Amino acid sequence: MKKLLLLLLLPLTLLAHMNIAVSYPYIGALTKSIGGKHINTVVLAKGNWDPHFVVPRPSLIAKVRNADALIMNGGQLEIGWLPPLINRASNPKTQVGSSTFLNLSHHVELIQKPQSVDRSGGDVHPDGNPHFHLNPENILTLGIAIKNFLISIDSEHKAVYEKNYEEFSGMWKEKLGMWKSKMANKNGLKVIQFHDNLAYFNKLYGLTSIGTIEPLPGVPPSSRHTINLIKLIKGEQPCCILHDVYHSTKTADYISSKTGIKVVLMPHDIGALEDIESLVSLFDYLTSAIK
Amino acid sequence: MKKLLSLSLVVSSLLMADTDMDQLKEQMNKQQLIIEKLMQKIEKLETTSNVTKPVINIDKEEVSQNTQKNDLPAKSKTFSQSSFMPDISLIADMSYVSRNKKNDVVEHLEVPGVAHGLLGSHTHDGNTHTPYNAKQGFNLNYAELSLSKSVDPSLNLNGIFHFSEDSVEIEELYFTTTGLGYGSRVKGGKFNSNFGYLNEQHHHYWSFADMPLVYESFLGMHGINENGIQFQWTAPTSTYLMIGAEVLQGNNEQMFGNSYIGSAESPTAASENAPSLYVGYVKTSFDIDDTTIFAGLSYAQGSSRVDHSSDDENPHAFVGDSSLYGIDLTIKHYFDSYSFLTWQSEILSRDMDGKQYNFDASGSVASSPDLIKQQSGLYSQLVYAPNKSWQMGVRYDSIFKNDVISNGVNQNKPSHLNKYSAMLEYHTSEFARLRLQYNKNNALYNEAGDKRSIETIILQANISIGAHGAHSF
Repeated sequence: MKKLLLLLLLPLTLLAHMNIAVSYPYIGALTKSIGGKHINTVVLAKGNWDPHFVVPRPSLIAKVRNADALIMNGGQLEIGWLPPLINRASNPKTQVGSSTFLNLSHHVELIQKPQSVDRSGGDVHPDGNPHFHLNPENILTLGIAIKNFLISIDSEHKAVYEKNYEEFSGMWKEKLGMWKSKMANKNGLKVIQFHDNLAYFNKLYGLTSIGTIEPLPGVPPSSRHTINLIKLIKGEQPCCILHDVYHSTKTADYISSKTGIKVVLMPHDIGALEDIESLVSLFDYLTSAIK
Repeated sequence: MKKLLSLSLVVSSLLMADTDMDQLKEQMNKQQLIIEKLMQKIEKLETTSNVTKPVINIDKEEVSQNTQKNDLPAKSKTFSQSSFMPDISLIADMSYVSRNKKNDVVEHLEVPGVAHGLLGSHTHDGNTHTPYNAKQGFNLNYAELSLSKSVDPSLNLNGIFHFSEDSVEIEELYFTTTGLGYGSRVKGGKFNSNFGYLNEQHHHYWSFADMPLVYESFLGMHGINENGIQFQWTAPTSTYLMIGAEVLQGNNEQMFGNSYIGSAESPTAASENAPSLYVGYVKTSFDIDDTTIFAGLSYAQGSSRVDHSSDDENPHAFVGDSSLYGIDLTIKHYFDSYSFLTWQSEILSRDMDGKQYNFDASGSVASSPDLIKQQSGLYSQLVYAPNKSWQMGVRYDSIFKNDVISNGVNQNKPSHLNKYSAMLEYHTSEFARLRLQYNKNNALYNEAGDKRSIETIILQANISIGAHGAHSF
């Protein structure tokens, strides 16, 4: 019995450094690059699942319960799953509003903020489009927010976090240039999406999203909407359907068979596809996916 | 600004006091026009200052300063507290029911030795007790109004109110602590006990329109829903392990109670000290890839008063002590974000030990044999969701042990009582579901002791508006 208890408690003693729970893999990777060896990140959601629908599995309660801080995306992306975890975990360090809680959406400018909100318009995000991390320039802004957050809760390692951020941002800026030149000839392309989760990416690189396969946010495709979309595609000649990895591509494939439009899988996060293992590879992939 | 304008209007009209009426009126009209124009200008300015958000590409402190600067004029001008509004949601549940037996037949059926009046509404102590989907035809089961919000940095408050056609009930009203730390949480007020798996969940979260047979016949349609206090502790382990204890008032119509039976002056059975119900449980969960396994052991112990002394037929009452044991196991496998297969099962077992008082027509005790009830039942259900819009499932219910021992003699009550259910659900969105359910209930007997198989078809609509109802596992 004692042995069992010891075994159960062992992981705690090993984690002498800060244990930071984050909602999505991209936040984990970014936090890890800035926190380095002084922190340990625990990612709650899986990268290949719909970020709107994460199962609040009890194992996640244990992760939140044992966290020293919590960083979330915000913008209501986690509304359906994170509140019960925070509530169940009863950890004062992960309560909304505590000094060890960071809502990243408060640090970037959200686009597509609806003038009025009504669910007859689908499952809209009242605070604006929350998929802001898919603009790689925002990653730097988020990095600053995370750096300042880490410093505020662990001022002892201020110099380390600042140095790590400098290194990261130097590397990232170089990449930004590369991605920009890669995407330069895509400026002005028209695209179709399943759900408008690439809004920030499209905005940065001048892609125009002319339609979504779902008729309204969160509403599954309907045949009438699909027929209209096929007409639209025939008229407007968009380059491709940029499709997320978590919805079935059935409707997209059907549209493709009717119009000849390409279906391009666009990972939204680290782990969305097997070879997406880091923030860099995520954007490497995204910027070379459209051919 | 507006005040200043109206003030200037008053002052100017005073100054014009000696000019003649027509001139004055003309002046007034002019002034009014000017004011209106100015007002429009103000409104325009106000809205634009609200709309232009700063471009936030800088760090934390600067952001908060900017937002403060921007929000200040709008916010300081009123006492508006709308941003403190709690999260509100309203859930409506309604159904169309078709049965192979009429309402008045169904109302008199019982699960022998376990419970009576499970289906159909019946009056008990002057209260009409209407289970969900009670009547043939259309049923308005409830409107559930739910309010919740942080009270302050250390407390949350939740209120859940059940409106039915003839009553309003406080279904739950409780505070929870948020700042205790060490994985501990205290909940106080009226709430659904965390006994077992299903008990804490609200009706609209269940996968079937009705409660499992064993829950409904042992604990009634509300389960263990009590006033009291709960303490839960989550262990600091990487595997989820939660231990909880509850002290509850102990008023459950079917199983627990502490009030006297009979008249207040010379009761047949005296009252017990309250609170009189104690609940404890251990729950654990872990994942194997995309499969989550969740298991729990629960125990409830309390004094019992089951009062049917004012029933028309066979008035009786049970007085004693009862224990309830629960084992639950849920295995949920996720194929992707929307598609899953869940196998959920619970075994409940109870031990009731005391005296049964049988009353005669005049209300005096005719006999009072020692009574022991040892009963066990289970439900096991399988639910498959191929996508976001559809779910389908089957459930098997059984009461497989039914020993009722009166003065040492087993009453040989029927012990293979079961029920079969199947359902198909369509979700128009996360916020609305339509469910078609079929039940075949083989657990009900009439007063003559003959089995009456009941077949029911329920078409249920469960629809919600307002705050996003995030649910725990």
